[in-house]
Amino acid sequence: MEHADWGTVYPWLVWLLTVMVGLGIWLSARGRQLHIRRLPAIDAMEEAVGRAVEMGRPILFVPGLADIDVPTFQAIAIAGHIARSAARYRNRVIVPVTNTVILTMAEQVLREAYAEAGAGDVFRPEDVRFLSGEQFAFASGVIGLMERERVASSFFFGNFAAESLILAEIGQRLGAIQIAGTPSTLQIPFFIAACDFTVIGEEYYAVTAYLTKEPILVGSVWGQDICRIALATFILAATVGMKWLPPIIVKFLTFPT
Amino acid sequence: MLEPVRNLWVSGLLVVGAILVSVAILAFLHQLAPSLRHRVIAVLTFFAGLYFPLEFFIPYHNFLTPWRNSVADFLRLMAAFTFGLGIINLLIIHGRHLLRWTSNAPFSLAFFSGFLLMLVIGLISHYKPTLWAQAVPKEAIGTVGFWDAAFRLFFEGALQSLNATIFALLAFFIVSAAYRAFRIRTLEAGLLMATAIVVMLANVPIGQQWLTGWIPEQSPLAWLRLEKLSHWLQTQVNAPTMRAIVFGLWVGSLAMAVRIILSLERTFTVGGQ
Repeated sequence: MEHADWGTVYPWLVWLLTVMVGLGIWLSARGRQLHIRRLPAIDAMEEAVGRAVEMGRPILFVPGLADIDVPTFQAIAIAGHIARSAARYRNRVIVPVTNTVILTMAEQVLREAYAEAGAGDVFRPEDVRFLSGEQFAFASGVIGLMERERVASSFFFGNFAAESLILAEIGQRLGAIQIAGTPSTLQIPFFIAACDFTVIGEEYYAVTAYLTKEPILVGSVWGQDICRIALATFILAATVGMKWLPPIIVKFLTFPT
Repeated sequence: MLEPVRNLWVSGLLVVGAILVSVAILAFLHQLAPSLRHRVIAVLTFFAGLYFPLEFFIPYHNFLTPWRNSVADFLRLMAAFTFGLGIINLLIIHGRHLLRWTSNAPFSLAFFSGFLLMLVIGLISHYKPTLWAQAVPKEAIGTVGFWDAAFRLFFEGALQSLNATIFALLAFFIVSAAYRAFRIRTLEAGLLMATAIVVMLANVPIGQQWLTGWIPEQSPLAWLRLEKLSHWLQTQVNAPTMRAIVFGLWVGSLAMAVRIILSLERTFTVGGQ
């Protein structure tokens, strides 16, 4: 499908969802109090940072097989929050990356996070490391880092593939408290098995809103939730009603091939 | 839309010109007051972010379509600019270890050896494969040259084998992770264990042939055959759950994209830029 087919429901749905997210942002910006449910994995982040501080060991944040995409931007945003928390206690956060664009971005975000917390001297530029663009070379590099630095807490957020379990199991062996979140659905079971807390599905995109409580972010998460409820209702209604719907509507609802 | 320039001088001038323009734009942005700079970047982000959605949503071949490849090339080019930074980052970190001869120095030595060896051999095998080569005897035509062989030795013989070694670790880690996941402490862990046993047994002869193979295919109890139970679990339980997760993720991704295009998401940016 090279271009949108406006004779079907799909492009209309995308714009409808965009409008709903926009509505959430607008309502929140106008001061409406919107609620996001509690997420235990995110509540545990502060605890994980605190544990690393108590043990006097660094924190590891892996933004996955980073590419220049939405999940990685979200991962870097979370890295910024972790760095801000760690900086308050003057602890180090090590961020190994696979992509050089993300390297510069992560370095600047961490530098700023430490400076904001008044701990600019604690930040070491070499803690944000480009290890390799190769998946398993990167994985072996991260394993080496974890072993040498004896990290006390590990955060795995971003796109992951087969290396997810390798990294999480090494962390488990080291006794690190581990929190993970990924949009790569095939890796979620591995993280659930090997990490202490796992952020699942849409929760991944709600992390920054939950952490910052910024009205715009909270509003967009609220908008997403409304979208999901509306879509699920729509799917259910269309599935049940398909038998009685006229062919023109069925064609409108069918995905173009 | 943009055809590659064949003339070496013209393309060279274009590259130099593009670099000068980029430097000038960066210098100009640097001179601006932070609030104005933020506005300029927000406007640029908005239009850049709008290109692909607009190109897709305007039906058929539209005025934006011919530029699609050029825009994709531009994005690749931007990424290529930062590649040197990655190498510099590696050289600084490992160079420091070597100069101070820290406990990590042997690893840094391995890095420099591998880096230089692959760089030199890769460049020679690509650009000058006949360097220092003897005249090739007629009967040897078709055999691999020295530099090509060296490149293969390090790339296929070393790098790919090391990659496979790390990948192979996964088999052991799956066992240890499965052991932890399958310890029956809660109802969920029990269910997980039961479904895992069904799916695993359905994939081996002992399950398919011996345990439930005796149940006739046409019998009303045929659904108890392990392969049928496994198929049901994977298509009626696992697949819908996965789809539901993906469904939620894509809506979240859409919202995040909207926030980025409108410059509302500033948590991953530096100083909101």
